[in-house]
Order: sequence, then structure tokens, then C-alpha cells
Amino acid sequence: MNPAMKLVNVRKNIGKKEIIKDISFEIFPGEVFGFLGPNGAGKTTTIRMMVGLISITSGDIHINGMSVKHDFKEAIRHVGAIVENPEMYPFMSGWKNLKHYARMIPGITDDRIREVIDLVGLEKAIHEKVGKYSLGMRQRIGVAQALLHRPSVLILDEPTNGLDPAGIREIRQYIRRLAEEENVAVIVSSHMLAEIELMCDRIGIIKNGEMITVQEVEGSSPKDQDLKVYIEASPKEDAIQVIQSAFETSVMEEDKFIIIHTTKDLIPKINMELVHQGIQVFEIHSKQSSLEDKFFEVIGENTIA
Amino acid sequence: MHNFLSLLKNEHIKLYSRFSTWTMYIILGSIILISGLIVFFFSDVGIEEYGADWKTELQAENEEYREIASEDEFMEGAYDADIAKNEFYIQNDMKPASYDAWQLTLENAGLSMLITLFTIIVSAGIVASEFRWGTIKLLLIRPISRSKILLSKYVTVLLFAISMLVFLFIFNLLVGAVFFGMNGVNPSIVQATATGFEQVSIFSEIIMEYGLSMVNLIIMTTFAFMISTLFKNSGMAIGLAIFLMFAGNTLVGVLSQYEWSKFILFANTNLRQYTGNGTPLMEGMTLGFSVTVLIIYYTAFLLISWLSFTKRDIAGS
Ligand SMILES: Nc1ncnc2c1ncn2[C@@H]1O[C@H](COP(=O)(O)OP(=O)(O)OP(=O)(O)O)[C@@H](O)[C@H]1O
Ligand SMILES: [Mg+2]
Repeated sequence: MNPAMKLVNVRKNIGKKEIIKDISFEIFPGEVFGFLGPNGAGKTTTIRMMVGLISITSGDIHINGMSVKHDFKEAIRHVGAIVENPEMYPFMSGWKNLKHYARMIPGITDDRIREVIDLVGLEKAIHEKVGKYSLGMRQRIGVAQALLHRPSVLILDEPTNGLDPAGIREIRQYIRRLAEEENVAVIVSSHMLAEIELMCDRIGIIKNGEMITVQEVEGSSPKDQDLKVYIEASPKEDAIQVIQSAFETSVMEEDKFIIIHTTKDLIPKINMELVHQGIQVFEIHSKQSSLEDKFFEVIGENTIA
Repeated sequence: MHNFLSLLKNEHIKLYSRFSTWTMYIILGSIILISGLIVFFFSDVGIEEYGADWKTELQAENEEYREIASEDEFMEGAYDADIAKNEFYIQNDMKPASYDAWQLTLENAGLSMLITLFTIIVSAGIVASEFRWGTIKLLLIRPISRSKILLSKYVTVLLFAISMLVFLFIFNLLVGAVFFGMNGVNPSIVQATATGFEQVSIFSEIIMEYGLSMVNLIIMTTFAFMISTLFKNSGMAIGLAIFLMFAGNTLVGVLSQYEWSKFILFANTNLRQYTGNGTPLMEGMTLGFSVTVLIIYYTAFLLISWLSFTKRDIAGS
């Protein structure tokens, strides 16, 4: 499968400062790619290069095989994007704003505009001036603007910024739908793992302008393969003994908890064994979060670079 | 071409969706209306109709002028031009036309200064506002080259200037016709020239007045356009353009002792110096020279705007 978007050794210097240092990765049709990093990591800067708002110091970005550097119009034709806040003309209605962008690409009918408005749920407010919109409504009209021309690559820079939980859920749902049903390649940036891991197939972690790692987000079944299980039992020392001898895993301690890495199907067995050995079990809970560990490992405590 | 027209449409919608644009028309219209009212109620020169024995009336008028001039030494020579003009009418057996809509239109040609001012404001805002609103990002991620977008903005500014001029012209005629009536479609008037008086068509006179003011308008709006694309700041562009428009002539005056001062833009923007009874600012300056200098400045302004707009990184705004 040909990648929908491909970054090849992309660098960006502003003045003497190296903002992006040699980033390469690919995104495929039908895939939702999470672009994760702390504030100031270089997410927006990379996205600005993808859509041609800033020049690429060296390297290149290909969209559907077309170079953004050398063939901008063809490359950008099938891209829809939000870059930081999606600002609109405040003195015009939402409808007029969408018409404005629709005029810039041939073949967008009024029906299509209505369809998109429907999708982002703005029917009621569409004839009001954008200046009166709430932050969440602006985010929605921003998404609408990006979807008008049925892009095959959708780039959303922090699309959940300012949305309420219901709004975030909706966005998540239609991003998944676009990817699965219309085979759109979606790039979503965020600085919060929890927010995007639910909708992404892969996540790339960026820090200080470098891509640290690209990881698959495990689906529901493999998800159960790498669990961090917290057990509160008494007496604690005996419990550790039992677990170590019966299951041959390494055991860590944290406060009152015993922590082991294991799979889901072992949890009842561990429980049974503990109870069988006369140990009191107060609590067992698990966290599935190799990615989260990775993220914090990478990001560290001090998040701003 | 299709998408260029769409861009023009977009720019026009954005321009005319704002009340501030309409206030410019309202201000201009009000001034025309007021000027018509002032002439109608307060001015007594040249409005009265001349009767059948208009020659005697003109002679009487001249007598009156001479009398005032001889009585008061401050007024000496003040009416010379009027007297000469009246004599020209008598000698050539031409009945002076009464004041009418065309005359008002010609007199108000000076309002094109105001149009220059308004067009500078529009020009200074058309690129800078996109940066201020943050909409520049969404504007430039379309399959349209930056050059085309910039051109659509520039053309919109020119079309705004033209529509204002047309408005000035038509509204003047309208107000004039209501207050003073109209002497036919294209009456002639008597104008002073370098060699005396001449009978000219008022229409061509109006076109020339408006046309000459367009030179200054185009140069100064293009200058404002350049400053605003360069610095993304409309206030600065407006301030600088208006300051230079007014200070320009003084600047040329101060520097006129130097030979090179004739290359200063403002020494050349007033092409009236080559018409009728005008005299060139400096020896050796010709119409051809000024036009060449203007074209060079104009091209430079456009080139700088284009380079800065197409090459710039749209970051951090
Ligand atoms: N125009 C500029 N000039 C100089 N430095 C810049 C410029 N734009 C961005 N930077 C720097 O580039 C780095 C990356 O910024 P960027 O906006 O890409 O971060 P981000 O990952 O999008 O962060 P956030 O989560 O806050 O949106 C920052 O350190 C910032 O200071
Ligand atoms: Mg950002």
C-alpha cells in the first residue's frame, strides 16, 4: 500500500534554532495517526510544513506521492486541515465562511456543505456570525471546513481543544468513521495521550523536534496481553512469595500494592491461588498502559522542553 | 480563470460584509450632498442665469469687479481672471453656461483625495487583516497559488477605487441635477490655459481631473499594500502612506536644490505639472520622465509585495 503521506528526513530551522530535527514517518490510507508530544515539541511546526504554510529547510513531504515542496497545488488538493485554532471570519455567518472556502476548490455543492454541517452538528447556529460562536462551535466549524472537499488526508492540530466530553466523543467517532468507511488517512496531534489513544491506530511521540518512537496502539485483544496488575493483599510478604513461586514473574512494590506484569487470563488464577493459600485479597485492579509508561518515560516530569 | 473569479468574489464578499466599507460610501455621499447644498444656498457666483442681453450683464459684472478692485488695494488684481474670462465670452460671442450638475462634478473632483484615503485604508487592511484574524492559514492551504491569492486581493483594491470613483461621479451628477439641472449631455466650458482661455468639453475636463488623481491613488494604495504585506500591520501601512502623501511635497520642496530630488516619487506623482497652465517642478522634467519614474516605483512596490507574500513563513500568528 502506498502511504497517503510520507515525511522524509524533514528538518526545519528558524533562525539558528533547529525546531525539527530529521523527522521521517509514513501514514497510510484508512489509518488514524496520533501525533503526540508536550507543548513546544514541534507538532504544529511539522503540520505547518505538511500544508505548505512554512518552508521545509531540508527533506521533503509527499502527499499521495506529490511533493509539497515542488508540486504544492497537487499535493494540497486532497488535504483538509486545521492548524492550531481554526480562525474564521468573525463578521460572517458560519454558512458564509464555509461558502468562502468552498469557492476555492471546484466541485463543492451546497448539498455537500449542508452534509458537512450536519456531520459536525452545527445546523442550528450556521446562520449566526462566527464571532458569536463558542470555542467548541468554532472547533466544529473548523472541522467542517477541513472536510468540505472530501480530503483523502485529514490533518487536525489539537481538534479536541475546547470541546466538552460529548464533543470529544463525537469527534473521535467521526474520525474513526472517516478512516474506516472512507479510507481517509487522519493525523491528529495532541499533548494528551488519554485523549487520542482511543481513536488512533498508531501514535508517534515527538519531543524537542525529534520523533522518539512510533508505536502501534494495541487493539482490544492484544491489549489484554500486557497488563500492569495491582494487588492489595495481606500479609503482603506471603502474597509476594505465593505469586513468585506459582507464576514465576517479577514482582514490584508500590505503597500497599504488589505490582506484576501479566495477561488478563491469569488474574483469576492468581486470585484463586492467593485465596487458596489463605491470604486476604482486598483489591485487584489493572492498568493497560505500556504506551502511557512510554509516554511519561519520554516526556519526563518536566514537560516543557 | 474560473477560480480567479471565485477569489475575486470571495474578496468582495469579505470587503462588503463589513460595515466600515459602507461607511466610506456614506461619508463620501454625505460630503457631495452637503457641497451641493452649500452651493445652492450660500454661493451667489455664477449660479444666476444670464438673460437675453447677457453681454451687458457681463459688462456690468466686470464694472463691478473693477470698482471693488480700485476701491480696496487688497483686492487689486483679485478679479483679473474673472474679468478676462468674461471678456473672452463677449469677444467670442458665447453665452456663459449656467452652473449645473457637470460643474458640480468638476468642482468635486478634488474629493478623489478622499477616495485615495479610503482606498489606502482598504488596501492596507486586505492582507494584514487575514493575519490579524488568523484566517491566513486556512486561506493558504487551498490548491491555489499564493500569487493568485495576492493578485485577487490587489485587483479587489483597484476595483474598490474604481467603484468609489464611479460613485463619486454619478452621485455628483445626481445631486447636481436635482439642485441645478443639467446643460445637455456634454456642455463645454471655458478654462484657463497657459496661453489664455479656451473652450473645452466639460466631460473631457472631468475625465482628465479624475484620471490625474488616479495616478496618485494607484501609487499610494500600492505603497500601502506593500507595507501591509511586508509588516502584516495595517495601521502602520495607513499611517505611513498618509503621512508620505502629505509630507511628500514638502520633502521634495526641501530637497529641490539637489539634482537627484527629481527621482523622488513625490516629485512625479502630480502630473498636472505638465498640463494646461502647470509648470514642471524642475527643469528638465518631462511627462515621459515622470511616467518612467512612476512605473519604476510602481513595479518595485508590486515586486516587494509579491516576494514577501509568496516566500514568507506563515508561523506564529
Ligand atoms: N516563528 C518561530 N520562531 C522561533 N521559534 C519558533 C517559531 N515557531 C515555533 N517556534 C518554536 O518551535 C518549537 C515548537 O513549536 P510548536 O508550535 O511546533 O510546538 P507544538 O508541539 O505544536 O506545541 P503545543 O502543544 O504547545 O501546540 C517551540 O519551541 C517554539 O518556541
Ligand atoms: Mg501546537
